[in-house]
Amino acid sequence: MLDREPSSPEDPCTSPQVVLRDRRIVYAVTDRELHVQQLSGALKVLQSDAASWLGKSLLDLVPELLGSEDALEGILAGVLSRLEIPWVNRDDDSGNTAYLTLVDLPCRDSTGAIVGLIHVMQDVTEGGVLEQQLMQHRNDLRLLEKAQREQNAQLRAANTELRRLDEAKSTFVSLAAHELRTPLASITGYVEMLLDGDAGPLNAAQTEYLSTIDASTQRLLRITRDLLDVARIESGRLQLSLQTVNLRALLAEVTVEQKPQLDARSQQIHLIAPDDIPPALVDPQRTIQVVSNLISNASKYAPAGTTITVNLQEADAEPGFLCVAVTDEGDGVPAEDQSLLFRPFFRGTSAQITGIPGTGLGLYIAQSLVELHGGHISLESRAGVGATFAATFPMAIGIT
Amino acid sequence: MISLSAKVCLLGDYAVGKTSLVRRFVYNMFEDKYLSTIGVKVSRKVVAVPRDEDVVELTLMLWDLAGSEEFDRIRASYLRGAAGALIVCDLTQRSTLDSIHEYARQMTEVNPRATLVLAANKCDLVEQRVVQEGEISAIAGELKAPCYLTSAKVGVAVDEAFRHLGRLAVGQ
Repeated sequence: MLDREPSSPEDPCTSPQVVLRDRRIVYAVTDRELHVQQLSGALKVLQSDAASWLGKSLLDLVPELLGSEDALEGILAGVLSRLEIPWVNRDDDSGNTAYLTLVDLPCRDSTGAIVGLIHVMQDVTEGGVLEQQLMQHRNDLRLLEKAQREQNAQLRAANTELRRLDEAKSTFVSLAAHELRTPLASITGYVEMLLDGDAGPLNAAQTEYLSTIDASTQRLLRITRDLLDVARIESGRLQLSLQTVNLRALLAEVTVEQKPQLDARSQQIHLIAPDDIPPALVDPQRTIQVVSNLISNASKYAPAGTTITVNLQEADAEPGFLCVAVTDEGDGVPAEDQSLLFRPFFRGTSAQITGIPGTGLGLYIAQSLVELHGGHISLESRAGVGATFAATFPMAIGIT
Repeated sequence: MISLSAKVCLLGDYAVGKTSLVRRFVYNMFEDKYLSTIGVKVSRKVVAVPRDEDVVELTLMLWDLAGSEEFDRIRASYLRGAAGALIVCDLTQRSTLDSIHEYARQMTEVNPRATLVLAANKCDLVEQRVVQEGEISAIAGELKAPCYLTSAKVGVAVDEAFRHLGRLAVGQ
């Protein structure tokens, strides 16, 4: 049931003018020469009143129709039913964009003959503004996606190039270290023979000089060995030879080996390891390398006369792993260095200040070797209290 | 002096700078902000074009068409009656070259005698350029269309490209 009576034709709410106004429609009727004979409705974007349109050419009033003369003639000839130009942009008085839909249809007389055109212009700005905003977002998003795709492609290319350079660097380092090792071994051998007196007795100065050569050669050998290890680690060629090992005995062996370096600095080493510690499944040579490195580091960075403690126990937080912790009584590792310490070639602030020798490869190699075993290496340090480097190694569970 | 008018369309992918080229040509202005066009914006500019030994006063009706793919279906309705087209690509976006042939096909399908001019825009962005001049020349050669490296931003070759299109349209 309707809540109001149907409107009469004279009802101002449904008069044609109101409909045209509400639907924002203007229509013009032209003769066959396209001169405007009649105009109904009003649009802000027309920027002129209806009276000024009368008698003028539709093409002058609607510039968007220029170029469409053939189509308009087709409508007048009855061969084309309509011409529609959607989403025509026009600037209104305030400089905002209005959107119009233009439609041209044949105007027929009572006999059906085409006597001109009906040109309909509808303001669809509300929908147009929404459509434009939508399009703007879509296109902005497309541009972002495109930029991101291009950036990703550039990053991939840069990454490939970096990998190639890194491989070239590793190959070079490996070759150089390999080529250095042979002559260095020869120098070491002959220096040792000279020091042993195989070529005759040496005076004190000769012995001192040869000892210096020997120490430097040993250092160079260690560097070449480290470089070769780094190359193997980075190329994934480093392999472990795992064995069931009594880690307590192995640590005792390492502490003895390190004693000359510690003695030179009047340092003590203290090994704490329970008798009943389970065996480990490790590569013994590589484990010695890791622990030696940690002890050597502790010795270098702790003051003379201090004690280094090596503690072996089952890892609390890692079931199935043993933990080797090396603690020194040095100044500790500065907070800003701690996250960088395991990077290759990183030299800590104190090493640079005090001139402590080293390549910055030891901890990187130690970490890589520990991780190859499935364990991990960590650092706990507080300024002025010393540092503890802890490495975990797997127990030989169920292996006989 | 003879007065003529010609409808010319600007075709090209979104964000290549079609609206900016029209703005530069008609108002000698540039707006850096990218504003997507929907539908069509018609502008006009009168230029003097030499023809034989005379000069023609040519009113160029410039139809700046939406470049977004959403308008692909209705583009043909805008192309009707056009004497020529300025097909625009972006020297900093290689993908905008891919659709040049398609725009040319759409134009000549609706208007077989339409003349074409190619504008490779944003030539001022030298460091971001990913398309070489030779590539543009090759495409222009395939289309038998003159080509210009333009910059709506600094106003390089914009007038020349539109006037060339006007001359070709008058010569039809």
